[in-house]
Amino acid sequence: MVYNFIGIDIGSLASKVVLISEGKLVDYRVERSTFDFKRVGNNLFNDILEKNNLNKSDVFIMSTGYGRNTIDIADDRITEITAHARGAQYFFPEAHSVIDIGGQDSKAILISKKTGNVMDFQMNDKCAAGTGRFLEVMAHALEVPIEEIGELALNSNKPSAISSTCTVFAESEVISLFARGTSKHDIAAGIHKSIARRVAGMAKRIGVAPLLVFCGGVAKNIAVKKFLEEELGFEIVIPNHPQLTGAIGAALIAQEHNGN
Amino acid sequence: MEDLDFLSDYYLFLKEKKEEGKKVIGFISHDNIPEELIDAAGFIPLRMIFAGNDELMDASHDFLPPSTCSFAQSCIGAFSIKPSDYKFLDLVDYFIVSNHCVSDICASEIIAKYYDIPQLSFYVSYTKTDNSLKYFYLELIDLKENLEKIKGFEILNQDLMNSIVKYNNFKKKLLDLSNLSIPGSKKLELLQKAILFGPEYLPKLEKILQSQESTQAKNNSKPILLTGCSIFINDYLNDLIEESGGNIVFFDTWVGFNYYSQIFDDNVLNSSNEPINLLVERFKNNIHGDHSVPNFLETKISHIEEFSKNYKSRTGKKLGVINHIIKFCDHMSIMSSHLKNRLQEKGIQVLNLERDYSRANRGQLSTRIEAFLEMM
Repeated sequence: MVYNFIGIDIGSLASKVVLISEGKLVDYRVERSTFDFKRVGNNLFNDILEKNNLNKSDVFIMSTGYGRNTIDIADDRITEITAHARGAQYFFPEAHSVIDIGGQDSKAILISKKTGNVMDFQMNDKCAAGTGRFLEVMAHALEVPIEEIGELALNSNKPSAISSTCTVFAESEVISLFARGTSKHDIAAGIHKSIARRVAGMAKRIGVAPLLVFCGGVAKNIAVKKFLEEELGFEIVIPNHPQLTGAIGAALIAQEHNGN
Repeated sequence: MEDLDFLSDYYLFLKEKKEEGKKVIGFISHDNIPEELIDAAGFIPLRMIFAGNDELMDASHDFLPPSTCSFAQSCIGAFSIKPSDYKFLDLVDYFIVSNHCVSDICASEIIAKYYDIPQLSFYVSYTKTDNSLKYFYLELIDLKENLEKIKGFEILNQDLMNSIVKYNNFKKKLLDLSNLSIPGSKKLELLQKAILFGPEYLPKLEKILQSQESTQAKNNSKPILLTGCSIFINDYLNDLIEESGGNIVFFDTWVGFNYYSQIFDDNVLNSSNEPINLLVERFKNNIHGDHSVPNFLETKISHIEEFSKNYKSRTGKKLGVINHIIKFCDHMSIMSSHLKNRLQEKGIQVLNLERDYSRANRGQLSTRIEAFLEMM
């Protein structure tokens, strides 16, 4: 019987691999996905096996995420929607809703309080607005490292108005605000508000409510959290490892499917 | 995706009909165009039930902004590019401009105007009041007279009656097809081909149906009711649904229930009613079509709920609903949230699946469908 479970979450920007044993997170790896999902996924998988003195036969592998079908070593696969719902409950068993903002998409998930299963979900369309990629483009336009743009936004008392519908137009707006002498922190705050407005609008359509778990790489950005709370009208929570939620969920589902 | 070789056969079919002196009358498919009148005139109705792709949508941008209905864009693109599979479009003699929606009017007018296809018109009211029915009657007379002008002689009542009976028998057979437990892909393929070729496809359809009676959909597949926009010819959506473990058991769409549900009872056909009045009567009774304001949505919700209950008691399986919304189809988009909420209140799970015909979003569509099936 297998007691170790690997979740491989191949996102459009970041790949995450976790090792779960007896329901607990034992180890994890994160790397940029690049253009070769399969290679990155396999490398992270082999590394985690080696460091934990495990062989492939010792583990059950569940892949998830945008590139889940490229991982041919996986024993099974599951969508990131189901994986995030399960992963969020690992960190917060009372979780009722999830907002996941990843590199190229964002999603809102409603979890049944009774069964813990997904009740409804909504994903953004093929558009970078309201995603991590939108933040990257804006950080580049502001000439600020991506890790610092959230802090910068929190220094603003007067966020600028930025379009929430198109990354390309929003970038032009940022450049013209810059040209008019608007401060960087006001522009940064406007950018974060714009993401929050778009994602909250999507989330409200499925009726998200507390306890709402905010995960995905963008959850590391404290300004997005603040503005999301303003838009939604209630506090939201962030797991210790927001980027790993999908991979952890996949590994836990693998464990449950294997009767553990 | 389905093999498109049959479109070459369709080209030969139309060509042969034209050589017999028949005209091909194209129109954007919806459930209120009286194809019996076209048939009674000795002409061939050609319903536009073809899906698009990036190339066709792009080609329409000479006439339409990208933020218009993807299906309308694709219809215009099909006439603009005429890909080799669609060369039968060269054979269209007339195009009917109608008003299923604003996109239908615009696309049909653009096709007629810019591709030099003489235009006919057939406008339909959204209500079923006495005045609307009078108007529908006048539109039928108008279309009949125009077809007679093209033909050069009168459409006799007996010819129209024969066509009504012919199409009625044809639709009854499609109803039989819809009740078979065959895979959704097979059902859809047969529906599409039948609607394209018309009643002349009936003998072939009967033969295929006999051979399909023993074919069953995979037992472990999850049953889906498709509503909203149709899955048209050359679309990959049904493949995505089946690859993800779903199976469409009911097509509540133009290519499907909206078409074959419009059947006359035999006693109505045997009545002394004028055939043109029978068409008016059918329009009046078509409560499932989109031109049935103000109760269209409530009727749809009740109909889906009833089908869902019957399906569960028959098979023991719970049905999921995919509401297929073609991007920028205002008609479907505006109703989608209400439809979803109302069905969810009744315990029916719904996926509002908005998309265009671009191949690039196949991955994301697949994730939504798979997640929905996991949720079921």
